[in-house]
Amino acid sequence: MGPAEIARPAPLHDIPQLIVSTILLGGIYALIAVGLTLIFGVMRVVNFAHGEFLMLAMYVAFWAFSLLRSDPYLTLVVSLPLFFAAGWLSYRAVMRPVIQASHTVQIFTTVGLSIALQNVALVLWTADARFVRTDYYAAIVRLFGAAFNVAQIVAFAIAVAATAALFAFMRWSYTGKLMRATAQDRDASSLMGIDTDRVYAVTWAVGITCVGVAGVLLAPIYPVYPTAGLQFVLIAYVAVVLGGLGDMAGALIAALLVAAVEVVGSYVLGTSWKEMLYLLVFIGILIVRPAGLFGQRGAEALGT
Amino acid sequence: MRNLKGVVVVGVVALALGVSTARSQQLQGEYKIGVLEPLTGNLAVQGRLHLEGYEIMRDLINTRFGGVMGKKLSFVTGDAVDPTATASEATRLATREGVKIITGTFSSTLCGAASEAASRQNVIYWETSCVDPRFTRRNLKNVFRTEIDGNGFGWYNIEFIAKHLAQRLGKKTSELKIAYLSEDSSYGQSVTESARQRAKQEFGMQEVGLEYYTFTTNDLTPVILKLKNANPDVLHHIARDQDAILFWRQAREQNFQVKAVVHAGATGYGNPGFGKAFGNDANGPFALLEPGPGLIVEKFRPDGRLIEKAFRDAVKAKTGSDVLAGGHQLAGGGLWILKLALDAAKTDDLDKFRAAVMSMDLPVGSAVNGWGVKFDDTGQNSNARVQHYMLQWQNGQLVTVWPEEFTTNRAKWIPLGGWDQRK
Repeated sequence: MGPAEIARPAPLHDIPQLIVSTILLGGIYALIAVGLTLIFGVMRVVNFAHGEFLMLAMYVAFWAFSLLRSDPYLTLVVSLPLFFAAGWLSYRAVMRPVIQASHTVQIFTTVGLSIALQNVALVLWTADARFVRTDYYAAIVRLFGAAFNVAQIVAFAIAVAATAALFAFMRWSYTGKLMRATAQDRDASSLMGIDTDRVYAVTWAVGITCVGVAGVLLAPIYPVYPTAGLQFVLIAYVAVVLGGLGDMAGALIAALLVAAVEVVGSYVLGTSWKEMLYLLVFIGILIVRPAGLFGQRGAEALGT
Repeated sequence: MRNLKGVVVVGVVALALGVSTARSQQLQGEYKIGVLEPLTGNLAVQGRLHLEGYEIMRDLINTRFGGVMGKKLSFVTGDAVDPTATASEATRLATREGVKIITGTFSSTLCGAASEAASRQNVIYWETSCVDPRFTRRNLKNVFRTEIDGNGFGWYNIEFIAKHLAQRLGKKTSELKIAYLSEDSSYGQSVTESARQRAKQEFGMQEVGLEYYTFTTNDLTPVILKLKNANPDVLHHIARDQDAILFWRQAREQNFQVKAVVHAGATGYGNPGFGKAFGNDANGPFALLEPGPGLIVEKFRPDGRLIEKAFRDAVKAKTGSDVLAGGHQLAGGGLWILKLALDAAKTDDLDKFRAAVMSMDLPVGSAVNGWGVKFDDTGQNSNARVQHYMLQWQNGQLVTVWPEEFTTNRAKWIPLGGWDQRK
C-alpha cells in the first residue's frame, strides 16, 4: 500500500474534530502572531528572535512549575511584568542602536539575537524536550463527538482577548494613537513632539509580552526545548504577512486559515503535504492581494 | 571437606589473580588508535558519553584482558563537530598521529565523512553507533560496523511483533493489522521501510496505514483520526522527541485505542525525556534498544558474561549508576569486538585484519550487550547476531522485556487497554 492510498475521503464523523482542531491550533498561531504583527506594524522590524522569546517564556513556565510547583496560569499573571521588563531591556540593549539602520542590519541583529538565545538555552538546559505535566494536562471536554483540550481552549480564548485588547488599544488609547502616528511617519511624528524612541520601546516590550504570554500558555500543551520557537514562529510569519502587515484582526483570521489548511491537508492528503499546502495558499493569496488579506498597499514602506 | 573446598577456592582465586597480574605485566609497548567523536557543539552530550564508554572499556582491556595484540591500548582523540571538521580530523589522526585504526563517531551525519576520509588514507574505520544504512553500501573495504543499521532496527521490531506480540494478542501474524507512522528523516524512513518489507514478505501482516510527518509538526490530531479509522492492532511509530510527546498527549485526548505501540532507537519513546514528560502515563510503549534494567547477564555465554559484568562494574565505578547509557553500551561493545578482531588478526594490515574480521563467528551472548559477531562482505555485523532488546515503559522506567530468556521483566498491558487502566 503506498502513501497515496491512505488518503481517503473524510468520514463525516471526523468533521467536528477537524473543525475544533483548526480553531484551537489557529488560536495558538494567532497568539504568537499578534505580538509579531504589532512590532512589525509599528516599528517595521521583522523580529526573527520572536520564536526564541516564546521558547524562553515556555522555560519560565517549565522551571516555575518544576522548581516552585507554580501552576502555569499563576506563572502567567506573575510573569507579565517580567516579560515587559525583558522586552524593554532587550530593546534598549539590542534594537535601539539599529532602529535607524537599514532593514538588512536589523535582520542580522534579530537573527543574531535568535541564534544567541537558542544557544544560551542549549548551554543552560540541554537539548532535552521537557514538558509541564499539570494534573489537568489530559483534561478534555467532549462535545458533539469532538475532544477539546482545556489548555488549548484557554489559549484560544486568551488569543482572541489579546487580539481584541490590542486592537482597541491601538484604535482608542492615546498611546495607541502615538504608535499609529509613528508607524505612519516616524519623522513627522518626531516633529509633532512624539518621543518615537519611547514609542518603539513600548511597542517592542508589548510585543514581547504578548509572545511571553503565548509561551506560558503553550507550556502545558507542547514540550519545550531550545529550538521550540522555530516550529511555531515560521507559521506565525506566514499568518502576519497573509493577514496584512500590522493588522491584528487580519493576523487572527490568517492564523485560522493557515491552521485550517494544515489540519485539512494533513487529514485528506497526508501530513507530509501540509507545509507545501499552506505555503501554496500563501503564495496564491499574495499574487492576488500583494498586501495580504486586509493589509493596506505599500504598508511595508510606510514610516521609513 | 569444607576446608578442602576453601583451599581450592583460594587456590583458584590466587591463580586467577596471578594470571591477570601476569597478563597486565606482559603488555609490551603501546598500540594507539584514533577516537573520533563530537566533543563540542550540538552533538557533544552523546559524543562525550561515547568517549567515556570507550575509555572505560580501554582501561578494562588494559588492566584485565591483556591489552590488544599484547600491547597497551591508547587513544588519540579528534573532535568531530560537523562533517567537514570530522573529515579533517580523521585525516589528521591518520597522517599526523599515524594511527591505522579510527573508531567513532556515533552520528549518522558524521560517520559517512569520517569513513571516506579514513578510506583515502587507507586506514581502518571501525564504526560503533551510527545507523545510516548507506554507511556500508559504498564498497569501502576499510569500513566496519559493529551495531546494526536502521534496516536492522526495522528487522528487530518485526521480529518482536511477529514472534512475541502476535502470540500474546492471540492472532496469527497474517491476521495482524499494522499501521506505520514515522518522522520523515532518513532514520525514520529506513527503519519504517525495512519493517514494512519484512512484515509483508515474511509474515504477511496486513498494512492498514502509512504516514510520514516532519517532527516539528504542531498537530497530529488529523493523523490520529485517520489511525482510529484504520483501527490497527499494532502501531509502528518511529518518533524523534517532541513529536512522541505530542502524539502521546493527543492520542490520549482522542482516546485512540491500539493494542501496542512499537518504536526503535534512543529517540522518541526510547528517550528518558518521554518518561519524565508523562510519569506513569507513559506506561505501555515499546522501544528497541540496548539491554536495560532486568537483564539476566547469567544467560549470556561465559565469555560474554565475563566482559559484560566487568564492563557494568567499571561503568558503575565511574558514573555511580547501575543503568548504563546507550552511548556507553555501543562504544564499549564496539571497542570490545575491535579488540577481539585485533587479537585474532595480530596485525593492523588492512587485508589481514579484514580477513580476520570476516572469519570471526561468535554466537549471540558472546560479547558486551549479549552481542555475537558475524560480519558480511560490506563490513556490517549481522542483524541476528547483534542481539537487540525490547524495552517497555513501566511505571516511569524503561525496562527490558524481550527476548524473555534474557530478562526478569515481562511485557505488560498487551493489549494496551484504556488510557486510565495502565497502572
